[in-house]
Amino acid sequence: MTKEACQRYLEDPEANAAHLQTCAECRAVSAALAEKNDVKPASIDLNALPLAPWEGSSYRPWPLVLGITAVVVAVALALCDAAGLSPLHVAESSLTSMEAIRGLIDRATASLRGASLVWQIAFGVAFLLVNALLIVLLRRSPRGIDA
Amino acid sequence: MRRMLRLFLPLTVVAGTLVTAMIAAPPNFGVQAPNTVAEATAMLQKTAVIAALLAVWMIAAVALTLLSGREIRYSSVEMRASALHCFALGLVAVTSFALTAIVFCYLIPYHVGLPLLFALGVFAILTKIYGLVAVFHAIGTLVAGSRTREQLQRRNWLRGDLAMVVIGVLVLGALRLIPIVGPIIWGFASVFGIGTALATKFGRREPWFLAYRLHLS
Repeated sequence: MTKEACQRYLEDPEANAAHLQTCAECRAVSAALAEKNDVKPASIDLNALPLAPWEGSSYRPWPLVLGITAVVVAVALALCDAAGLSPLHVAESSLTSMEAIRGLIDRATASLRGASLVWQIAFGVAFLLVNALLIVLLRRSPRGIDA
Repeated sequence: MRRMLRLFLPLTVVAGTLVTAMIAAPPNFGVQAPNTVAEATAMLQKTAVIAALLAVWMIAAVALTLLSGREIRYSSVEMRASALHCFALGLVAVTSFALTAIVFCYLIPYHVGLPLLFALGVFAILTKIYGLVAVFHAIGTLVAGSRTREQLQRRNWLRGDLAMVVIGVLVLGALRLIPIVGPIIWGFASVFGIGTALATKFGRREPWFLAYRLHLS
Protein backbone atom coordinates (compact mmCIF):
# COMPACT_ATOMS: atom_id res chain seq x y z
CA MET A 1 0.00 0.00 0.00
CA THR A 2 1.18 3.54 -0.65
CA LYS A 3 2.47 5.69 2.17
CA GLU A 4 0.07 8.47 1.21
CA ALA A 5 -2.93 6.23 1.85
CA CYS A 6 -1.51 5.21 5.24
CA GLN A 7 -0.90 8.87 6.08
CA ARG A 8 -4.49 9.77 5.11
CA TYR A 9 -5.80 6.94 7.30
CA LEU A 10 -3.69 8.02 10.30
CA GLU A 11 -4.87 11.61 9.94
CA ASP A 12 -8.55 10.69 9.80
CA PRO A 13 -9.23 7.02 10.67
CA GLU A 14 -13.01 7.29 10.58
CA ALA A 15 -13.24 8.80 7.11
CA ASN A 16 -10.71 6.32 5.69
CA ALA A 17 -11.91 3.17 7.46
CA ALA A 18 -11.86 1.18 4.21
CA HIS A 19 -8.08 1.48 4.14
CA LEU A 20 -7.80 -1.11 6.93
CA GLN A 21 -9.09 -3.85 4.63
CA THR A 22 -6.24 -3.33 2.18
CA CYS A 23 -3.28 -2.49 4.48
CA ALA A 24 -1.98 -5.14 6.93
CA GLU A 25 0.44 -2.72 8.60
CA CYS A 26 -2.26 -0.22 9.55
CA ARG A 27 -4.53 -3.06 10.61
CA ALA A 28 -1.86 -4.25 13.06
CA VAL A 29 -1.39 -0.73 14.45
CA SER A 30 -5.13 -0.31 14.84
CA ALA A 31 -5.47 -3.66 16.61
CA ALA A 32 -2.65 -2.81 19.00
CA LEU A 33 -4.27 0.53 19.85
CA ALA A 34 -7.64 -1.14 20.41
CA GLU A 35 -6.02 -3.63 22.79
CA LYS A 36 -4.43 -0.81 24.75
CA ASN A 37 -7.76 1.01 24.98
CA ASP A 38 -9.42 -2.09 26.38
CA VAL A 39 -7.29 -1.86 29.51
CA LYS A 40 -9.52 -0.15 32.04
CA PRO A 41 -8.06 1.73 35.01
CA ALA A 42 -8.64 0.33 38.45
CA SER A 43 -11.85 1.64 39.95
CA ILE A 44 -11.39 4.27 42.68
CA ASP A 45 -13.66 4.47 45.69
CA LEU A 46 -13.96 8.21 46.16
CA ASN A 47 -15.46 7.83 49.61
CA ALA A 48 -12.39 5.92 50.77
CA LEU A 49 -10.11 8.87 49.93
CA PRO A 50 -9.33 11.39 52.68
CA LEU A 51 -11.34 14.59 52.70
CA ALA A 52 -9.56 17.37 50.81
CA PRO A 53 -9.39 20.79 52.52
CA TRP A 54 -11.25 22.52 49.69
CA GLU A 55 -14.25 20.18 49.76
CA GLY A 56 -17.31 22.09 50.90
CA SER A 57 -15.17 25.10 51.77
CA SER A 58 -17.05 27.58 49.61
CA TYR A 59 -20.30 26.90 51.46
CA ARG A 60 -21.51 29.94 53.40
CA PRO A 61 -23.85 29.17 56.29
CA TRP A 62 -25.17 32.71 56.73
CA PRO A 63 -27.66 31.96 59.55
CA LEU A 64 -24.86 30.47 61.71
CA VAL A 65 -22.35 33.23 60.90
CA LEU A 66 -24.74 36.14 61.33
CA GLY A 67 -26.29 34.59 64.45
CA ILE A 68 -22.96 34.03 66.24
CA THR A 69 -21.64 37.45 65.18
CA ALA A 70 -24.81 39.14 66.44
CA VAL A 71 -24.58 37.30 69.77
CA VAL A 72 -20.91 38.26 70.25
CA VAL A 73 -21.59 41.91 69.37
CA ALA A 74 -24.62 41.99 71.68
CA VAL A 75 -22.63 40.49 74.58
CA ALA A 76 -19.82 43.00 74.00
CA LEU A 77 -22.26 45.94 73.91
CA ALA A 78 -24.03 44.71 77.06
CA LEU A 79 -20.73 44.32 78.92
CA CYS A 80 -19.58 47.77 77.78
CA ASP A 81 -22.90 49.24 78.92
CA ALA A 82 -22.66 47.49 82.31
CA ALA A 83 -19.09 48.68 82.79
CA GLY A 84 -20.00 52.22 81.70
CA LEU A 85 -17.67 52.17 78.71
CA SER A 86 -18.24 53.71 75.31
CA PRO A 87 -16.89 52.22 72.05
CA LEU A 88 -14.57 55.26 71.94
CA HIS A 89 -13.04 54.16 75.24
CA VAL A 90 -12.41 50.68 73.83
CA ALA A 91 -10.63 52.18 70.82
CA GLU A 92 -8.62 54.40 73.16
CA SER A 93 -7.55 51.42 75.26
CA SER A 94 -6.30 49.55 72.19
CA LEU A 95 -4.42 52.67 71.10
CA THR A 96 -2.93 52.90 74.60
CA SER A 97 -1.42 49.42 74.19
CA MET A 98 0.08 50.55 70.87
CA GLU A 99 1.51 53.59 72.64
CA ALA A 100 3.04 51.29 75.27
CA ILE A 101 4.83 49.33 72.55
CA ARG A 102 5.99 52.61 70.97
CA GLY A 103 7.31 53.78 74.36
CA LEU A 104 9.19 50.50 74.82
CA ILE A 105 10.88 50.86 71.42
CA ASP A 106 11.71 54.52 72.14
CA ARG A 107 13.32 53.58 75.45
CA ALA A 108 15.30 50.78 73.79
CA THR A 109 16.51 53.20 71.10
CA ALA A 110 17.52 55.80 73.68
CA SER A 111 19.47 53.24 75.69
CA LEU A 112 21.14 51.99 72.50
CA ARG A 113 22.23 55.55 71.65
CA GLY A 114 23.72 55.93 75.10
CA ALA A 115 25.39 52.53 75.06
CA SER A 116 29.08 51.95 74.38
CA LEU A 117 30.38 51.17 70.90
CA VAL A 118 30.80 47.50 71.76
CA TRP A 119 27.12 47.18 72.68
CA GLN A 120 26.08 49.03 69.52
CA ILE A 121 28.17 46.66 67.40
CA ALA A 122 26.71 43.68 69.29
CA PHE A 123 23.22 45.00 68.55
CA GLY A 124 24.14 45.35 64.87
CA VAL A 125 25.44 41.78 64.76
CA ALA A 126 22.27 40.50 66.48
CA PHE A 127 20.14 42.45 64.00
CA LEU A 128 21.99 40.92 61.05
CA LEU A 129 21.87 37.40 62.51
CA VAL A 130 18.13 37.50 63.24
CA ASN A 131 17.30 38.85 59.79
CA ALA A 132 19.60 36.29 58.13
CA LEU A 133 17.79 33.54 60.04
CA LEU A 134 14.46 35.04 58.96
CA ILE A 135 15.56 34.93 55.32
CA VAL A 136 16.74 31.31 55.70
CA LEU A 137 13.37 30.31 57.17
CA LEU A 138 11.46 32.24 54.50
CA ARG A 139 13.27 30.39 51.71
CA ARG A 140 11.61 27.09 52.66
CA SER A 141 8.70 26.42 50.33
CA PRO A 142 5.29 25.76 51.90
CA ARG A 143 4.28 22.10 52.00
CA GLY A 144 0.73 22.18 53.27
CA ILE A 145 -0.90 20.67 50.20
CA ASP A 146 1.87 18.16 49.50
CA ALA A 147 2.09 16.94 53.09
CA MET B 1 22.40 22.96 55.82
CA ARG B 2 19.27 20.88 56.41
CA ARG B 3 20.88 19.07 59.32
CA MET B 4 21.83 22.41 60.83
CA LEU B 5 18.26 23.67 60.36
CA ARG B 6 16.85 20.54 61.97
CA LEU B 7 19.06 21.09 64.98
CA PHE B 8 18.58 24.83 65.05
CA LEU B 9 14.79 24.92 64.73
CA PRO B 10 13.96 23.04 67.95
CA LEU B 11 16.61 25.04 69.79
CA THR B 12 15.08 28.28 68.49
CA VAL B 13 11.64 27.14 69.54
CA VAL B 14 12.76 26.23 73.05
CA ALA B 15 14.75 29.43 73.50
CA GLY B 16 12.00 31.57 72.00
CA THR B 17 9.35 29.90 74.14
CA LEU B 18 11.37 30.56 77.28
CA VAL B 19 11.93 34.20 76.34
CA THR B 20 8.25 34.65 75.42
CA ALA B 21 7.15 33.03 78.67
CA MET B 22 9.52 35.26 80.67
CA ILE B 23 8.19 38.37 78.93
CA ALA B 24 4.53 37.39 78.94
CA ALA B 25 4.27 35.83 82.40
CA PRO B 26 3.18 38.30 85.06
CA PRO B 27 5.31 38.42 88.22
CA ASN B 28 2.42 37.31 90.44
CA PHE B 29 0.68 34.12 89.33
CA GLY B 30 -1.96 34.07 92.07
CA VAL B 31 -5.53 34.52 90.86
CA GLN B 32 -7.18 37.00 93.16
CA ALA B 33 -10.87 37.67 93.44
CA PRO B 34 -11.81 41.37 93.59
CA ASN B 35 -12.06 42.57 97.19
CA THR B 36 -13.44 46.06 96.66
CA VAL B 37 -16.06 47.62 94.38
CA ALA B 38 -13.33 49.48 92.51
CA GLU B 39 -11.47 46.22 91.78
CA ALA B 40 -14.68 44.55 90.61
CA THR B 41 -15.42 47.52 88.32
CA ALA B 42 -11.91 47.39 86.89
CA MET B 43 -12.28 43.66 86.23
CA LEU B 44 -15.64 44.21 84.52
CA GLN B 45 -14.17 46.99 82.41
CA LYS B 46 -11.28 44.77 81.38
CA THR B 47 -13.67 41.97 80.40
CA ALA B 48 -15.82 44.44 78.46
CA VAL B 49 -12.81 45.72 76.52
CA ILE B 50 -11.74 42.14 75.68
CA ALA B 51 -15.28 41.24 74.57
CA ALA B 52 -15.51 44.36 72.40
CA LEU B 53 -12.18 43.58 70.77
CA LEU B 54 -13.37 40.00 70.17
CA ALA B 55 -16.45 41.36 68.41
CA VAL B 56 -14.19 43.49 66.20
CA TRP B 57 -12.03 40.42 65.51
CA MET B 58 -15.15 38.44 64.59
CA ILE B 59 -16.27 41.06 62.05
CA ALA B 60 -12.74 41.41 60.63
CA ALA B 61 -12.36 37.62 60.35
CA VAL B 62 -15.66 37.21 58.52
CA ALA B 63 -14.82 40.07 56.14
CA LEU B 64 -11.32 38.76 55.40
CA THR B 65 -12.60 35.22 54.83
CA LEU B 66 -15.20 36.52 52.41
CA LEU B 67 -12.55 38.48 50.54
CA SER B 68 -9.85 35.78 50.37
CA GLY B 69 -11.13 32.48 51.70
CA ARG B 70 -8.84 30.34 49.59
CA GLU B 71 -5.70 32.09 50.86
CA ILE B 72 -6.85 31.76 54.47
CA ARG B 73 -7.49 28.05 53.89
CA TYR B 74 -4.03 27.52 52.36
CA SER B 75 -2.41 29.21 55.34
CA SER B 76 -4.51 27.16 57.76
CA VAL B 77 -3.50 23.91 56.03
CA GLU B 78 0.14 24.97 56.12
CA MET B 79 -0.04 25.70 59.83
CA ARG B 80 -1.50 22.28 60.58
CA ALA B 81 1.00 20.54 58.27
CA SER B 82 4.16 22.19 59.61
CA ALA B 83 3.32 23.81 62.92
CA LEU B 84 6.87 23.83 64.28
CA HIS B 85 8.21 25.68 61.26
CA CYS B 86 5.41 28.27 61.48
CA PHE B 87 6.02 28.80 65.19
CA ALA B 88 9.79 29.16 64.76
CA LEU B 89 9.29 31.53 61.85
CA GLY B 90 6.80 33.56 63.91
CA LEU B 91 9.23 33.89 66.82
CA VAL B 92 12.07 34.95 64.53
CA ALA B 93 9.77 37.37 62.66
CA VAL B 94 8.54 39.03 65.88
CA THR B 95 12.15 39.42 67.05
CA SER B 96 13.10 40.79 63.66
CA PHE B 97 10.19 43.28 63.75
CA ALA B 98 11.29 44.52 67.18
CA LEU B 99 14.98 44.87 66.23
CA THR B 100 14.11 46.51 62.90
CA ALA B 101 11.78 48.96 64.68
CA ILE B 102 14.65 49.93 67.01
CA VAL B 103 16.94 50.45 64.00
CA PHE B 104 14.30 52.58 62.24
CA CYS B 105 13.78 54.58 65.45
CA TYR B 106 17.53 55.11 65.49
CA LEU B 107 17.23 56.58 61.97
CA ILE B 108 14.44 59.06 62.80
CA PRO B 109 16.84 62.05 63.10
CA TYR B 110 18.00 61.30 59.54
CA HIS B 111 14.43 61.74 58.17
CA VAL B 112 14.19 58.25 56.66
CA GLY B 113 13.31 56.54 59.93
CA LEU B 114 9.75 57.74 60.31
CA PRO B 115 8.30 56.52 56.97
CA LEU B 116 10.18 53.25 57.35
CA LEU B 117 8.85 52.82 60.88
CA PHE B 118 5.32 53.56 59.68
CA ALA B 119 5.63 51.03 56.84
CA LEU B 120 6.99 48.41 59.24
CA GLY B 121 4.12 49.03 61.67
CA VAL B 122 1.50 48.70 58.93
CA PHE B 123 3.12 45.51 57.62
CA ALA B 124 3.33 44.02 61.11
CA ILE B 125 -0.31 44.83 61.91
CA LEU B 126 -1.54 43.42 58.57
CA THR B 127 0.55 40.27 59.09
CA LYS B 128 -0.88 39.79 62.56
CA ILE B 129 -4.49 40.30 61.41
CA TYR B 130 -4.15 37.92 58.47
CA GLY B 131 -2.24 35.36 60.52
CA LEU B 132 -4.72 35.35 63.39
CA VAL B 133 -7.60 34.79 60.99
CA ALA B 134 -5.67 31.80 59.59
CA VAL B 135 -5.23 30.58 63.18
CA PHE B 136 -9.00 30.96 63.74
CA HIS B 137 -9.60 28.82 60.65
CA ALA B 138 -7.12 26.17 61.79
CA ILE B 139 -8.59 25.99 65.29
CA GLY B 140 -12.14 25.88 63.92
CA THR B 141 -11.20 23.06 61.55
CA LEU B 142 -9.45 21.13 64.31
CA VAL B 143 -12.42 21.50 66.66
CA ALA B 144 -15.41 21.31 64.35
CA GLY B 145 -14.10 20.28 60.91
CA SER B 146 -15.61 17.31 59.08
CA ARG B 147 -13.54 14.15 59.27
CA THR B 148 -15.31 12.14 56.57
CA ARG B 149 -17.23 12.87 53.39
CA GLU B 150 -20.48 11.48 54.84
CA GLN B 151 -20.14 13.76 57.86
CA LEU B 152 -19.61 16.72 55.53
CA GLN B 153 -22.70 15.87 53.50
CA ARG B 154 -24.86 15.40 56.60
CA ARG B 155 -24.03 18.86 57.94
CA ASN B 156 -26.23 21.77 57.00
CA TRP B 157 -24.49 24.65 58.74
CA LEU B 158 -21.23 23.55 60.29
CA ARG B 159 -19.13 23.43 57.11
CA GLY B 160 -17.24 25.84 54.91
CA ASP B 161 -14.46 28.34 55.58
CA LEU B 162 -16.73 30.95 57.15
CA ALA B 163 -18.14 28.55 59.73
CA MET B 164 -14.66 27.28 60.65
CA VAL B 165 -13.36 30.83 61.13
CA VAL B 166 -16.34 31.79 63.30
CA ILE B 167 -15.92 28.67 65.47
CA GLY B 168 -12.22 29.44 65.77
CA VAL B 169 -12.92 33.00 66.96
CA LEU B 170 -15.37 31.65 69.52
CA VAL B 171 -12.92 29.06 70.89
CA LEU B 172 -9.88 31.35 71.00
CA GLY B 173 -12.01 34.23 72.30
CA ALA B 174 -13.31 32.07 75.15
CA LEU B 175 -9.72 31.12 76.02
CA ARG B 176 -8.72 34.80 75.81
CA LEU B 177 -11.19 35.65 78.58
CA ILE B 178 -9.37 33.39 81.09
CA PRO B 179 -7.19 35.55 83.34
CA ILE B 180 -3.40 35.19 83.06
CA VAL B 181 -3.56 32.16 80.73
CA GLY B 182 -5.73 33.91 78.12
CA PRO B 183 -3.28 36.61 77.05
CA ILE B 184 -0.45 34.06 76.88
CA ILE B 185 -2.52 31.76 74.64
CA TRP B 186 -3.48 34.75 72.48
CA GLY B 187 0.19 35.75 72.26
CA PHE B 188 1.19 32.25 71.17
CA ALA B 189 -1.62 32.27 68.59
CA SER B 190 -0.30 35.60 67.29
CA VAL B 191 3.21 34.16 66.94
CA PHE B 192 1.78 31.14 65.09
CA GLY B 193 -0.29 33.44 62.89
CA ILE B 194 2.60 35.73 61.95
CA GLY B 195 4.72 32.69 61.12
CA THR B 196 1.98 31.15 58.99
CA ALA B 197 1.28 34.39 57.13
CA LEU B 198 4.95 34.78 56.27
CA ALA B 199 5.54 31.08 55.49
CA THR B 200 2.77 31.05 52.88
CA LYS B 201 3.26 34.66 51.74
CA PHE B 202 -0.25 35.52 52.86
CA GLY B 203 -1.72 32.35 51.38
CA ARG B 204 -0.34 32.95 47.89
CA ARG B 205 2.23 30.12 48.22
CA GLU B 206 4.79 32.03 46.16
CA PRO B 207 8.51 32.21 46.95
CA TRP B 208 9.65 35.37 48.74
CA PHE B 209 12.95 35.51 46.86
CA LEU B 210 13.86 34.89 43.24
CA ALA B 211 16.00 31.84 42.52
CA TYR B 212 19.09 32.80 40.56
CA ARG B 213 20.28 30.28 37.99
CA LEU B 214 23.50 30.49 36.04
CA HIS B 215 22.95 29.92 32.32
CA LEU B 216 26.06 28.42 30.71
CA SER B 217 25.30 28.35 27.03
